[in-house]
Amino acid sequence: MLRVRGLTKRYGPLLALDDVGFDVPRGEIVGFLGPNGSGKTTTMRAIMRLVSLDAGDVSWDGVPVDAGTRQHFGYMPAERGMYPRMKLRNHLAYYGELSGLSPESAGAAADRWLERLGLADRAEDTIQSLSSGNQQRVQLALALLNEPDLLVLDEPFSGLDPVAVEMLSDILREQVDRGAALLLSSHQLDLVADVCSAVVIVDRGRIVLRGDVAALRAASPTRYVEVEFADAVAWNPGRPSDVSAGGRRHRIAVEAGSDADRLIEEARSLGPVVGYSFLPPDLSEVFLGVVGRATLDDPEHERAEVAR
Amino acid sequence: MNDGRPSDATSVVRLVARREVIERLRARSFAVATGLLVVVIIAIGVISRLGGDGGDDAIEVATAGELPIGFEDMSGQTAGLFERTVEITGRDDAAAARAAVEDGDADVAVIGDRGEVVFDDGIDEEVLAILQQAWANAQVQQALGDAGLDEQQVRAALTTTPLEPVTIDGEEDSDEGLAILTGTLAGILLFISLQTFGTYVLTGVVEEKATAVVELLLVRARGSQMLAGKVIGIGIAALLQFALAIVAALVSLAISDVEVPGEIWAALPITLVWFIGGYALYSTLFALAGSLVSRQEDAQAAAMPIMSVLLLAYVMVFTFGSDPESTASTVMSILPPIAPLLMPLRMAAGAASVIEVLVALVLLAAAILAAWAATGRIYEQVLLRRGTRISWRDAASLIRRT
Repeated sequence: MLRVRGLTKRYGPLLALDDVGFDVPRGEIVGFLGPNGSGKTTTMRAIMRLVSLDAGDVSWDGVPVDAGTRQHFGYMPAERGMYPRMKLRNHLAYYGELSGLSPESAGAAADRWLERLGLADRAEDTIQSLSSGNQQRVQLALALLNEPDLLVLDEPFSGLDPVAVEMLSDILREQVDRGAALLLSSHQLDLVADVCSAVVIVDRGRIVLRGDVAALRAASPTRYVEVEFADAVAWNPGRPSDVSAGGRRHRIAVEAGSDADRLIEEARSLGPVVGYSFLPPDLSEVFLGVVGRATLDDPEHERAEVAR
Repeated sequence: MNDGRPSDATSVVRLVARREVIERLRARSFAVATGLLVVVIIAIGVISRLGGDGGDDAIEVATAGELPIGFEDMSGQTAGLFERTVEITGRDDAAAARAAVEDGDADVAVIGDRGEVVFDDGIDEEVLAILQQAWANAQVQQALGDAGLDEQQVRAALTTTPLEPVTIDGEEDSDEGLAILTGTLAGILLFISLQTFGTYVLTGVVEEKATAVVELLLVRARGSQMLAGKVIGIGIAALLQFALAIVAALVSLAISDVEVPGEIWAALPITLVWFIGGYALYSTLFALAGSLVSRQEDAQAAAMPIMSVLLLAYVMVFTFGSDPESTASTVMSILPPIAPLLMPLRMAAGAASVIEVLVALVLLAAAILAAWAATGRIYEQVLLRRGTRISWRDAASLIRRT
């Protein structure tokens, strides 16, 4: 299990990480969420020992992470990077050897992943000749070559088409099924809800929420009643509501303990109802609830992040 | 599923170095540069061979009319003093002899009854001197014979010993000039090599930072290991190119028929030692310069201070090389950034004492270690700081901080 405790990092006047702590158990995918500049990348770099911390510690199975333990981690940095003129297979085999594999195992792992990612026929092509989507697949393979105990993936889904997302999700599930622990950051909250069992949400370097995805949703004080009418209706339920589908679909926020039946009855009186649901907020609503619009649109904070 | 192999420092350095060698040899630019070098070196040999035909060792002389007896022997002997030979062909008359010169069949014509030596265009002073000497000797020989001396007496009278040239400072010949020339050539070659391979290191480091691949590497290797692997790998590629150039030079020399003075061969291993030392110092500093920028466009600007020092060292070869014994030359040749270029020249000229060479080597080794330590401290901290160029002053402050 990965244990992160009390991570604190200052960049001049900016407190990039403020007492960040969470766990990533084996066999679980933990989503790491937060607005741009909230400290996700710095935290992931800290786990990989790429930044010097002002305070805090990172341990794996109870042992502080050092260069030796790190050899058993797999890392996909936010900034993708490979040698553009190296051939695909050579690149994978080289990194495999750097990751501690013997030349034979590194070659075998390279072939296995090229096959798995559908890139076997491109083995002798250069990295720069690949599309960006394919480059990202190779980048993922680099993180997986040594069958790591812990995977730290910074934005693995960004820029992927739905087919590639599906393939990546399958691969990630396989990895945790064989016992790896996995931490991934993403802005695609629907994907995170789909793939991750738990999430950690950071904002301005502080953890604002963490826990099981279903539990976090259930813990929200808000529920949503969604009613779909056969025809467009005008309805003012006296609460905040979203109207979509040309006035046919209405989504109304209510308190968790409140009586939804009364609202649905009110809806029936307005016209024929095709369907309705009563659900906790989805992950993006939970996220926006804790992070708030103010941070998302705070240009100062983002600039500070970029300036580093 | 690591194979239980700890990625110890040497195996990481070896892996990084191996990649550098393989990728460098695979790169078209490297192949083109090496090929060009080989072609140019061999072409020099071919050209000097072809050019050599005009000033051939044999002087072809067309003769006409009556010549002093023994002229042919005498001109052969005299030409021998100049390490040349003479081929004499008799022609029917003066006009035919002149025509031979005009047509290029002969280098020169000697018209006996008129006492003329005819050149085509311009007088070759060496040929003229040989023929004058032979003519005079033959005339003297004939006169002595006419005066009644027998053949033996004539020969005794004509046996002379040529003057031996000596210089005021006691040197028998102009070896020092040759040594300085050799040393200067070595300095030029060293400068070109250090600049070329330093630039390879510079752009290689910038590439890793610009493409962000460095972040992947830094979770597997320490910055100092990556630095060592890169410098060693490119250094091996440099030595391979150097070896090819030597082979090309041998081929070139075989083609051109030029004899190479032993001094040049003697200078070769020494030059190699200084190249390795100079390369270790400069390439480390070039790597540091590369780690400060995130774009290839900024690389030259960041490397400017290093390039300036290298250029300064190059200028020193010409400024102080002509006077390798002077105090200024001695001092300059001991300074680590200049020593790799200037010291080989002073050694070739025999102007450097053993102590001076040792002091220069020790200082150079110290400078390499200092550059290495400083770069090792800065390298890892700046490689992940992408964006605007990091100034040398900021980089220096990182040494103090850690």
